[in-house]
Amino acid sequence: MTRCGTNWQPSSMASVEAPTEGAAAPNAADPAAPRRRARAPWFSPDNVVSMQVSRILFALVVLGAWQYGADRWFDSFFFSTPLKIFVQVGHELIDPGFYNDLWVTGFEMGVGFAIGAGGGIALGVLLARWAYVAKVLDPFLLALYSIPRVALAPMLIVWFGIGYSSKIFLGATLVFFITFFNTLAGIRSVDKALCDIARVMQATEWQVFMKVMLPAASSWILTSVKISLPFALVGVILGEYLVSSQGLGFRLNTYSTNYNITGAMAIVFLMMVLMLLLTMVTNTIEARVLRWRPKSAAEPVAQA
Amino acid sequence: MLQIEGIRKEFSAGAVPVVALAAVDLAVERGEFVTLVGPSGCGKSSLLTLISGLAPPSAGRIRIAGRDIAGTDRAVGFITQQDNLFPWRMLIDNVALALELAGVGAAERRREAARWIKRVGLEGFEQAFPHQLSGGMRQRANIIRTLIYEPSVILMDEPFGPLDAQTRLSLQALLLSIWETQRSTVLFVTHDLTEAIALADRVVLMSARPGRIVRTDRVDIPRPRDIFHLHDLPEFRRLYDALWNELAAQLDGFGRSTH
Repeated sequence: MTRCGTNWQPSSMASVEAPTEGAAAPNAADPAAPRRRARAPWFSPDNVVSMQVSRILFALVVLGAWQYGADRWFDSFFFSTPLKIFVQVGHELIDPGFYNDLWVTGFEMGVGFAIGAGGGIALGVLLARWAYVAKVLDPFLLALYSIPRVALAPMLIVWFGIGYSSKIFLGATLVFFITFFNTLAGIRSVDKALCDIARVMQATEWQVFMKVMLPAASSWILTSVKISLPFALVGVILGEYLVSSQGLGFRLNTYSTNYNITGAMAIVFLMMVLMLLLTMVTNTIEARVLRWRPKSAAEPVAQA
Repeated sequence: MLQIEGIRKEFSAGAVPVVALAAVDLAVERGEFVTLVGPSGCGKSSLLTLISGLAPPSAGRIRIAGRDIAGTDRAVGFITQQDNLFPWRMLIDNVALALELAGVGAAERRREAARWIKRVGLEGFEQAFPHQLSGGMRQRANIIRTLIYEPSVILMDEPFGPLDAQTRLSLQALLLSIWETQRSTVLFVTHDLTEAIALADRVVLMSARPGRIVRTDRVDIPRPRDIFHLHDLPEFRRLYDALWNELAAQLDGFGRSTH
């Protein structure tokens, strides 16, 4: 996951449950050195043109094999074909029902994410300030974190019903622990020397917290927010898939129980696109907020 | 101005207490520039940390203008060896930090910061982030973010230590030119004898651990000094040799006084 030159998150992030091969991909694809674009040899990872050509070729080969092999090598009833899925995606995009389901899923995901991330950051900040309680709660939080959240789903339905709230809760619990553990670790890792600078300047402890610790931990917090976002979607869709009457997960369930693999695949594809768009948005926000971070060790330094 | 009386500091390294400083007495007058030299590990940096109030001494007391100091104090500024600029702040906001903490309005503190930035030749870099600046530039910023709030006593812990020789020399000259107009009280730790003599009114030499003050020498080179040509002066040579002999003795008889 960590690649030389893709300086996209604190290395210790690896300790957290990671969804992130997918989330990291748009970053890893960033050309490390646009300056060398023209001169890089064709099969160099820095050659942007060859990279795009190879990617398109790769996609065409895979999709082509799928299309060609349908009903030759395997039964298209079970695996559909890229063309059928493409057409089905078109149908979905002109169906008002799809937009209703998209809105429901988006709403549940947004609320679940906000609650999970807000709660995780808040508790992380609180426990970072309150070492004693943090130590008391440590094993319990770890135990809760270790519960496969999917296993809670049947109870959640009992507790929260089959409406929005069970999905929101499922999404929120997945997001919560990722942001919580990272916020805590981020604030704990703040360089004491920076805090001392502010203390010598007569900063109150509140100022030290607001002006040193929180901004210093911001890259941890933001990164955890970014990598936890897909989990909000995972939780919500899982909840919808189990029991619901609307949402993308419900739509997926409807298609698959009717053995409409093309429809199910189209929904999966659209979910993927949705997630990619969200990842792009969070990457942009992250790049904007963390613009103070060096992009790479090779970045030129001013001299005066 | 600054009085240090019977300061002692012990650390516990494992089960054994280590005495970093044993009974240090030192008085620095108002507007005096004192440099503190000694073998590494002699506790010079520890002494500055104690005066800054970031750690309490095991015994003894520290007074500024007759007032006992407990904890950090408005009158004491501390310039560290590492620049410790906040990487998420632009240069101008790093420099303005102390004013911001004191509740000075944004426009005023930025105006003041810009003035200091100009004074040390960093104009044009106000919006730069620390990682975009060279070591020498960052260290200049580190120094002026303390000078900006005008503490009456300024502690400097090898601020030029990490820099290359030329940058170091030019920053020494810059520091002296600022100090000569400002005349704050400075206690400056260094392991570089040349630097210690070039900057100081008085050079204080400390022993190897446990740190004590071994000798104090007045530097009778008139100010303003031409820092680039000091080495030719007989006064400089004489003091350098005397201090070096003493320091070498400290290094040989590690932990034992030769005085």
